Amino acid sequence: MATSRKSTSIKIGNNRDIPKLSKALCERMLADLEKARRPMLEATKCSLDNAVYNPKVGFLTPGDKKVRSELNVSSVQKLSRAIFFLEILLRNLETGAVNNKRELYYIAKGECKHNKDLKPLDFADQSESDSVVDFITEMLECYREELNVFANDRGGQTYSKNLIVTEHMADNEKAVVDLGSLGTSPFQPKNKPQSFTLKAKKGKLDFCLVVESEGTANTLVSNGFTKRNNCILMGAQGVPSNAVRSWAKTIQDQLKIPIYFFGDLDAYTIQNIYRTLKAGSAASLIRNADFSAPEVRFLGVLPEDIKKYDLADYVVNPKDAAEFRSLKKAQDALKNDPFFKDKKNKGVTHVLNWLIKNKRRCEQQAFFMVDPKDPLMPEKIIIDKIKRGEFL
Amino acid sequence: MGFSSGTKAVLTTLKEAVDNSLDACEDAGILPNISIEINKIGPGTMKNMDTIQVKVIDNGPGIAPDDIIRVYGEYLASSKFGRGRCSRGQQGIGISAATTWGQLTSAKGVNVISKTLKMKKAISGTIEVDIKKNQGNFKNKETIQWDRPHGTSVEFFFDGRLQLQGEGGVLTYLKGTSLVNPHLELKYKINEDEEVFFERLSTEKIKIPEAVPPHPHTLKLGEFLAHAHLFGQSTVATFLKRGFSRISDNTIKLLEKSGMPKGIANRSLPKTSDSDLKKVYSAIQKTELLAPNTRSVLSIGEAALAKSIERLGEIDFFSVVSRKPRICDAKPVVVEVAIARFVSNKGDNDDPVTVLRFANRVPLQFDKASCAIAKAIESVNWKAYGLQQPKRSLPLGPYIIAVSVVSPFIKFKNASKETIDSSDELVEELRLTLMQAGQRLSRYIKKEQRAADLERKLQHIEQFGPILIQCLGRITSAPKARLEKANIGLTKLLGRDTDAAESKLQDAVDKHQKLQERIKIRRGAKD
Repeated sequence: MATSRKSTSIKIGNNRDIPKLSKALCERMLADLEKARRPMLEATKCSLDNAVYNPKVGFLTPGDKKVRSELNVSSVQKLSRAIFFLEILLRNLETGAVNNKRELYYIAKGECKHNKDLKPLDFADQSESDSVVDFITEMLECYREELNVFANDRGGQTYSKNLIVTEHMADNEKAVVDLGSLGTSPFQPKNKPQSFTLKAKKGKLDFCLVVESEGTANTLVSNGFTKRNNCILMGAQGVPSNAVRSWAKTIQDQLKIPIYFFGDLDAYTIQNIYRTLKAGSAASLIRNADFSAPEVRFLGVLPEDIKKYDLADYVVNPKDAAEFRSLKKAQDALKNDPFFKDKKNKGVTHVLNWLIKNKRRCEQQAFFMVDPKDPLMPEKIIIDKIKRGEFL
Repeated sequence: MGFSSGTKAVLTTLKEAVDNSLDACEDAGILPNISIEINKIGPGTMKNMDTIQVKVIDNGPGIAPDDIIRVYGEYLASSKFGRGRCSRGQQGIGISAATTWGQLTSAKGVNVISKTLKMKKAISGTIEVDIKKNQGNFKNKETIQWDRPHGTSVEFFFDGRLQLQGEGGVLTYLKGTSLVNPHLELKYKINEDEEVFFERLSTEKIKIPEAVPPHPHTLKLGEFLAHAHLFGQSTVATFLKRGFSRISDNTIKLLEKSGMPKGIANRSLPKTSDSDLKKVYSAIQKTELLAPNTRSVLSIGEAALAKSIERLGEIDFFSVVSRKPRICDAKPVVVEVAIARFVSNKGDNDDPVTVLRFANRVPLQFDKASCAIAKAIESVNWKAYGLQQPKRSLPLGPYIIAVSVVSPFIKFKNASKETIDSSDELVEELRLTLMQAGQRLSRYIKKEQRAADLERKLQHIEQFGPILIQCLGRITSAPKARLEKANIGLTKLLGRDTDAAESKLQDAVDKHQKLQERIKIRRGAKD
């Protein structure tokens, strides 16, 4: 597959001109074909075995491994589909149209329906067209948002009485949002690139709390958490979306305040949610620089909290496929994930080991059992933990 | 036994009559011609049953007049039990049971016509069973002119249900019988359908190997004692040497070392107590004996199977394996396997394969799940040979897997003899044979896969090449001349890939042809 010949690879840089890069890529492919040479496409390998963790950088970065695709009789269908799709995406960029992956699937089907020459390309289901979009982003080493492909908004609902967000629009307009004036409504970042300037309305904010459960975040706010504390409170809604990750980074970089993550004590939360928020993911190695907030700290639930607050916890059932898989993945992570192998993160690594050894789990909502008659008890514990420095 | 449902009643009656005909022909060295007629002639006497007529005529040696009553009207009259031969019938129960069933349900015995070569005229009449006395009654006995030098005709009327297709179907039985009996010329007519004729494919007469006494390690204690009680006047030593295989004077000395009381060998067998015989039995079990002789086992042979498999329907390829006799559980066994794919239902890839099971060349059609043959088929990884297979199940596809087990001592799970007991050794021998057949099958499948691969690659080039060039042209705004040049370049590039695929296909075709030639040579040698 791989030869010493120069491959068609485009490096990520600032102010990339995607149409120009795409045309250069296609030009190179065409020139290779004219010379009866096999065009070869190269992309960074985005998987854990090519992930590097440098504690000074703070997030997972790509190693040297590349994935190479060469044109041959087996890949001609895949490449034809990719270039066909690229043409649709370039048209969108030219007109400013945006789409999500589902819409693109139907656009591609429509093109194939109305042009009989394209019929062989037709897509049987969305997974086929999604993989083509992913292949194009890997080939061009760009974000799908740079191709005007946007995912649905999920997570990142943010509350604060002392935060002003200024959004800089593409047409040089500015939108200023005072989160303290939104009443019970949250501010939510979009799942596409946005340009923000953040500042405190008065003085300096004390901290930002990211809560794993959107429901618990809402409860804390309803009970007055943001009224009593000079802070930002954000709901992650499970595994953080690109919007949540990028928004956390913006808060970290611009406001330079401590960010704490509050979630369940289980392997899935630590490995999939907390690690992604703090250091990015293996699947997005080329994007982690923009989509991770390395200063985030793990506030809990911690193993010692179970004893200290006498919290109800549960035995992980090895017969439950999902729980068993989660433990197995945690064991693999300890062996292979550079984030957990680095001594800088020995605190969370220790917790992961504790979870594997003790096979127990405790949910974030367990703080509500400490004093069932006091709805503010979870808030009191969280603030107490921050003050005492009981986080990782 | 075999009459627990209407479907089984039809099949058992037919099987018993055909088994008797085939065994008789083979014993007399005659190439069998069998003609079968099955008719649904009206409602039965029992609820949800029909009256069925089954008539089987053969060209066998015929039955002497004195023996006719015993064969059809008495139980255990011709018992071959423990004889150590690979014959179909073993206990002499089946055909008398069919007569009894006819009598019970339609008040009619079996109509018999029989003629031996020595008889000038054939004898005809109706045999009924007197169950209380275990003896037959010959009614309407008369001599008649018959159009053949020798043979037997039997005709039963009884309550049953006629099922043609499926595992318990009459047609499945007839096809199975024709598969494992290539020397059989078979005609059958069912109801108003046209008569079907299977030409004889092999003129080689079946040589049934001589009977051998049982190997002592194959008997349970009860069977050993029963064998001793029936053996008659002799010494214990003579009983052991003549009543069993692989026991000699030297073996008897070894038995004494293993705990057989000294002096018992020369004692009179009838005067020896059961407790002493138990000691003899126990010593035999502790003593290592030579494995049984495998010469007593009969095989159908690869060449014969390769011919007769085409009787099952139009097939586009097959593979057959006939293993040498092996010892399983101290019994000689021959396992043979034929796998074929039908042309007519080539698209049926989601249904399990059709399994045909045979024990001593008799099709087994009920209780498949717990049979050693089914277990062995399920335990093989058929995916390795190119077939689809859900986990621990039969493989899928329009294939037929026919497995024959031949042995003078087949151990069945139940009295109806439909399920072969699945001992570890037998299942392993079956597995090995199936895997060998699977390896041969995979050569055919590989050839097909290579051809499909080449076809797919050619299609890909034709379909996707122009689209790729056109899309690249539109994005780069390249002139037509560049696109034409790129098109030529692409064709050259992908042509190299198809050349490689063609070469692989040729390789597979060559290997396939070599295999075909080997089969032809084997067939030719047998012809």
